[in-house]
Amino acid sequence: MTLFLQQFVNGIALGSVYSLVALGLTLVYGVLKVPNFAHGALYMAGAYVSYVMLTSFGASYIVAMAVSVVVLAVLGGSMEWLVFRRLEGKTPVHSMIAALGLLFFMEGTADVIWGPTFRQVPTPFDGVVTLLGVNITEQRILVIVAAVVTMVGLYLLLKRTLVGMSIEAMAQDREGALLVGIDTRRVALLTFAISGALAAVAGSLIAPLLLVFPNMGELIILKAFVIVILGGMGSVPGAILGGYLLALAETMAGTYVSFAFSELIAFGLLVLVLVIRPTGLFQKGV
Amino acid sequence: MMSDHPIRDRPRSLGTVLLAGLLLATGCSGDGQGGTDSDGLEVVNIGFVGPLSGGAAYYGRNVQRGITMAADEIAEAGGFEVDGRRFRFEIVSLDDRYLPYETATAVRRLLQQNQTPVILVPHAGGIRVVQEMNTREPKFLLAAYSSEPSILEAENPLMLMLPPRFDGYQEPWVEVMMGRFGTRLALVPTTTAYGRAWTEAVSAEWTRQGGTLGRDHGVDYNTTTDFTGAVSRALADEPDVLFIGGPSQPTALVIRAAREQGFEGGLLIMDQAKFMEMLDIVPIESLEGAIGVYPVETYPTPGAPLFAARYYERFGADSPSPTSEIAINYQALYLIARAMTLAGTTTDPEAIRARADEAARTLPQEVRVYEVAGVTDVGLITRDVFTAHIVDGEFVSIRIPVPGGAP
Repeated sequence: MTLFLQQFVNGIALGSVYSLVALGLTLVYGVLKVPNFAHGALYMAGAYVSYVMLTSFGASYIVAMAVSVVVLAVLGGSMEWLVFRRLEGKTPVHSMIAALGLLFFMEGTADVIWGPTFRQVPTPFDGVVTLLGVNITEQRILVIVAAVVTMVGLYLLLKRTLVGMSIEAMAQDREGALLVGIDTRRVALLTFAISGALAAVAGSLIAPLLLVFPNMGELIILKAFVIVILGGMGSVPGAILGGYLLALAETMAGTYVSFAFSELIAFGLLVLVLVIRPTGLFQKGV
Repeated sequence: MMSDHPIRDRPRSLGTVLLAGLLLATGCSGDGQGGTDSDGLEVVNIGFVGPLSGGAAYYGRNVQRGITMAADEIAEAGGFEVDGRRFRFEIVSLDDRYLPYETATAVRRLLQQNQTPVILVPHAGGIRVVQEMNTREPKFLLAAYSSEPSILEAENPLMLMLPPRFDGYQEPWVEVMMGRFGTRLALVPTTTAYGRAWTEAVSAEWTRQGGTLGRDHGVDYNTTTDFTGAVSRALADEPDVLFIGGPSQPTALVIRAAREQGFEGGLLIMDQAKFMEMLDIVPIESLEGAIGVYPVETYPTPGAPLFAARYYERFGADSPSPTSEIAINYQALYLIARAMTLAGTTTDPEAIRARADEAARTLPQEVRVYEVAGVTDVGLITRDVFTAHIVDGEFVSIRIPVPGGAP
């Protein structure tokens, strides 16, 4: 029972990060129908910005994360402005190749700036809490709580603000949104900025638990794609639930079957969902 | 369409001919592989095919750093002599992203464009592919940086295996671990081909010495985001010792996860992970009771501290600690230079390989980071091997009777 609880907590912590990364991906897909592989690079960049703020500028963890969110929002927005806007009206293949190109470009840039060295991000939350025989680090508690706060914030943004509603409108029908007077270009830019900010939150939260290196985004972006397809392309609740579902499936399958299969589980789930419900588990609505 | 620009074609082809002529001319002046540089040294190209991008880039660049450091030192010291002429090494590196089929492509390119008589490959998958290539024309010497004993099975006549084979470690390590901590072993190793071979060897030895094995909770260290789950599962078996290992940095994360969850037992760590790199991520207290390869800086040979001093002088006092990846390959390049001198050729891999044993035995003292004793018939460079067990925060050395540890 202790093992189950321990693994449940581990799974939820991992799922929080999966969900945050998948959210940014699904938002962009919903609005622009772009499979943004470069989202993995945004997540990596978010972790690096926090790293630099913490180690070179001596900022506190919260300040570092805030700076990272702002920088990545700008970076995400410029990605749309400099690259994807110019591919408007071209076939989706163009955007896909551009996204892949951006991923490699950003990884290469990080490699030039910081080298392939693995960086360790210091955290003030490095204690361990034991509850009911379950060990959990303070940083993991922070990850879980911060993810929920971010998700609630995103929900409020989408449902209660004009910007959010225009994002939803555009996701449902781009031409319709244009007809009712929504500035679709501005919304596209904002969506990318929000997606960048989400990547920064995810990257900054997980960085102290893992290591920061140029290719760190590649590992998680594949999982995020599985989650987005699992939850339904463009679906926000789908990305959140999909993230927790995948992480729990991996952890539990690892515990009770074998960890050698945990990768298999992720992609097995993907195939299963595609066969039974090709539109994803939560198709409609952003 | 061709007739549209009849004139523009001509100068280009003329230029091509000129360029080709120029290339031929420079090619002829050297030893069939490179020219003479401004120092009056002739150039021998050494190929390096390894991961320079992707998740294993850090590892690949460490290997590259080792041979580059040796090549630079040799050039600065006025080169090495072969048959009355003086040579230096030029390292030609190609990225294979750790993928064996990319290794093969890169090797072909090196042979065609750089006429490399020696090619270094730092992973077993790539080594196996190259073993199929290096005995056919054009022949070349394969410098194999992998501790996996199975690369010797091909009995490749043109190979040098640079590090000690890992199957010498298990017996003494298991003995020490069982003696200090107990007989229950849990496994969270990496699941690469190398990791699996290691796991098999350690499992067999653990049961042979009467211990009990937990289930294998191995995960791929290169693709796993979070190790907590696998570690929790393994610790639920209440082990005395944890068998782990893969690249240093993820290995350190596994250790951190285990200590956070209250594990106080021993750590049996595969030779891929290096203590000094792990210490950048976890404190020495977390490594208490660990057993693994000995750090280069304090290796119990006269040459090791000298090497470390030269390393820090070249790369700066604040650069990351030199690992055995750097040191072993550094020494190997000196050994190859020595073998070329003895063989009187920089181009005939068979003649160079034939003198490798003598080169190992007569390697100058100042570059003997490790006390190499010779090269066996199948190409293994033999030497005394020391490993480290951390006791009260200190490295305690354990001498390994490696199969072929003495010539």
